[in-house]
Amino acid sequence: MRVRFWGVRGSIPVPGRTTSRYGGNTSCVEVRPRGAAPIIIDAGTGLRRLGKALMEESFGDGRGEASILISHTHWDHVQGLPFFSPLYRAGNRIQIFARQRDTHLEAVFSQQQGAPYFPVPLSALQAEMSFHALTEGTHFDLGRARITSTRLNHPWTALAYRIDVDGASVVYCSDTAPFTDLLLGREFVVDAPALDRPLPPDVAAELGRMRAAVVGLAAGADLLIYDTQFTYEEYLQRPHWGHSHPDDALAIARDAGVRRLCLFHHAPARSDDANDAILARYRGVVAAAGDPFEMLSAYEGLELVLGDDA
Amino acid sequence: MKIQFWGVRGSIPAPGPDTIRYGGNTSCVSVHAASGALVIIDMGTGLLPLGNALMAGPFGAGAGTATILLSHTHWDHIQGLGFFSPVFVAGNAFTVWGPGGSSDVLEDILEGQMDPNFSPLQTLKNFSARFDVHAMDVGAPLVVDGLTITAREHPHGATTALAFRITEAGRSFVYASDVGQPGDTGPDPDAVAFFAGADVLLHDATYRPQDQATRRNRGFSSYEDAAAAAVAAGARRLVTFHYDQDYSDDDVDDLVASCRRALDARGGAAIELVPAREGDVLEI
Repeated sequence: MRVRFWGVRGSIPVPGRTTSRYGGNTSCVEVRPRGAAPIIIDAGTGLRRLGKALMEESFGDGRGEASILISHTHWDHVQGLPFFSPLYRAGNRIQIFARQRDTHLEAVFSQQQGAPYFPVPLSALQAEMSFHALTEGTHFDLGRARITSTRLNHPWTALAYRIDVDGASVVYCSDTAPFTDLLLGREFVVDAPALDRPLPPDVAAELGRMRAAVVGLAAGADLLIYDTQFTYEEYLQRPHWGHSHPDDALAIARDAGVRRLCLFHHAPARSDDANDAILARYRGVVAAAGDPFEMLSAYEGLELVLGDDA
Repeated sequence: MKIQFWGVRGSIPAPGPDTIRYGGNTSCVSVHAASGALVIIDMGTGLLPLGNALMAGPFGAGAGTATILLSHTHWDHIQGLGFFSPVFVAGNAFTVWGPGGSSDVLEDILEGQMDPNFSPLQTLKNFSARFDVHAMDVGAPLVVDGLTITAREHPHGATTALAFRITEAGRSFVYASDVGQPGDTGPDPDAVAFFAGADVLLHDATYRPQDQATRRNRGFSSYEDAAAAAVAAGARRLVTFHYDQDYSDDDVDDLVASCRRALDARGGAAIELVPAREGDVLEI
């Protein structure tokens, strides 16, 4: 399979000189099993350019099929969908998978795409669209690819996905806070909680189960893509925002025994030079510890070939 | 008045090496009046860098006030709001004026952006600053700290958007983004009257005419429409704005050069052409 990054940024797109090497588009990753339809993870603004590339293939004459796995419906993971060119061509078939919400998924996406926010309503799109609500732990097949998922620690919950195909596996874990300090759910947390107090036993147990499930999902993966929006120091200031840091990603990668760890969902304010420095620092950590995996940092245009295709 | 451009792009932010010179952020312009008043027009992603800049002044200490004018509520004009640092500082106060017909309707629309399915903020009520939302009365001028602000509704695809005219001590800045051109009949006389004699006319110039021809229903102007409006209105300066997300910097260079020729051909050789670029400042 091929894995290509189209958007690597968290929170909000950040155009500009200081972000142009890693890229300013929000989250979007394309997974392409050999000779098969694309499986797209998240629909941030990176989806716009992916859509243009797909229009050069069978999507341009209305014969394309794609599946989009949505980690969660926060803006930076869905805001590219109205600008996905294949949706505007009759004959294309697009399946969207996301965790179930209180309302039907189609209603959630209709709210994004329609008056008074966007000129073209979902109902006016020419492609055939279908919406599939998931719950954590579910698994299903897309062609030869097996999809599995588990829950992450993020406000209003997000899903991690694992895709196994062509003798390789990729795991996408974004967005999530570490599983150590705070269980994030529906409640709006106003201020950063003190991190030196012990957690109630039930919360600690719940977080422990979530972490074990994430480690299990990522076990032996060829590539683990992980939310590292924060540095450790930044995380201490904002543990309630639902994002992690490289030290936590490294610990998960070690426990899961992955072959490559890719830092992802860079903070809007993170400059290219700062991203370079973070990668260099953690490559040093990995080398010093003798960890048996490769450390990468996602940038727009990064393409990895895994498994039978490699 | 000091006008500064923070986001000049249309429809969706367009990051990338080929949009660095003009900028890829969506619509946001600030106006610092001689009176000290701050007016912000539209809340695209350009609002993020504007907010960061404002935090160095009174807004960082919770002592800032600003008027926000909203042309309409399509994403590219509101999507920066959740990332505007000054709204998270208690003591700051913002008054939003925009479309919607009623203040409750407009507030509901902005509230919908913060819906927990989409935003971790969950509701506007989680802002620390005061954030009052009002529907603009198109017939009645608004007077804020020595500024007079009038609005005009123009067609924008299937909906409408507001243009604003800000006047201080006899000098005027007009902001007219997302201006639909339903036909090819030249500038609307009522629009020309609203723009008349502006010291600076910022006008939608999303497209080159050949690209507009296949997308007229989207409700945007070409540089030809912008040039025609500036000449008819006798504007002193024309600012091109809201460039298509697919235009590279080189494409925008070409659009601006073509706009210059269009002004000259229409008898507007005396009109100064100022292409909007992120970060640039224009004084009136």
